[in-house]
Amino acid sequence: MNFPLSMTYWSHFVVVAMFALGLLGFLLRKNTIVVLMSIELMLNAVNLLLIETSMRTHTSEGIILVVFVVTVAAAEVAVGLAIVLNLYRMKGSVNLDHFKSLQG
Amino acid sequence: MREGLFIAFSLFTIAAASGVVLSKNPVYSAFSLILSFFGLSGLYLLWGSTFMAMIQILIYTGAIVVLFVFVVMLLNLQVIRENSPNLLFVGVVSATVWFFSLIILRVLTRAIPTNVTEIPTNQLRTISKLLFTRYLWPFEVLSLFLLVMIVAIFAITRAQEISHGGEKV
Repeated sequence: MNFPLSMTYWSHFVVVAMFALGLLGFLLRKNTIVVLMSIELMLNAVNLLLIETSMRTHTSEGIILVVFVVTVAAAEVAVGLAIVLNLYRMKGSVNLDHFKSLQG
Repeated sequence: MREGLFIAFSLFTIAAASGVVLSKNPVYSAFSLILSFFGLSGLYLLWGSTFMAMIQILIYTGAIVVLFVFVVMLLNLQVIRENSPNLLFVGVVSATVWFFSLIILRVLTRAIPTNVTEIPTNQLRTISKLLFTRYLWPFEVLSLFLLVMIVAIFAITRAQEISHGGEKV
């Protein structure tokens, strides 16, 4: 199957826009949960790039890589949210500015 | 037709993704994340990767976003007051990302992969064959990694109770 070139361009547009949005959310938001969501956005942008390259060049290595990325992303979110839960129990807030000390 | 659908899905995905970052309430962010993942799933479908479209909905919206929503509901959060971002900072960060990623994409579109496996129409069979032959060891390491993650999550969530003199659960 041959894909039109405009699909590649639009895919790259989505990749760059999603990655920039995720990076900005990661850097600017104060809510720890939204920061984790921004990390998901960045991971998904990379996934889209991998799938796009893989399908355009008719290869399957990109899809394999995406399978690994999805698994690691799920584990990362689970651990991150467990840490957020624990921090909320300690500090009573999920504002990143309240987490200043490394101990307790 | 196909390109029009593709453009529609692209714009939808980006709009939903900006909703994740811009909305004040984390619940709205989580639901925008779901919409953005559905848009991405449509993009994968238009690229012909049915497997990834399925995985995107099953794992990302079915597991990850549900986990997010679950934690947001559990914590009973109030909306955090955030000062409005420095627009110069936003501009510099996005310009840097656009610049470097355009260079990288330019290189990527020219690169011709060597020594790779051709993907036939039956994608799932190819992927599973590769996972159990060439990528067997990464696959096994991944399962070990998941086990370690489960243990780590238990350790993190129980550490508080243990350090507080161990209430009975």
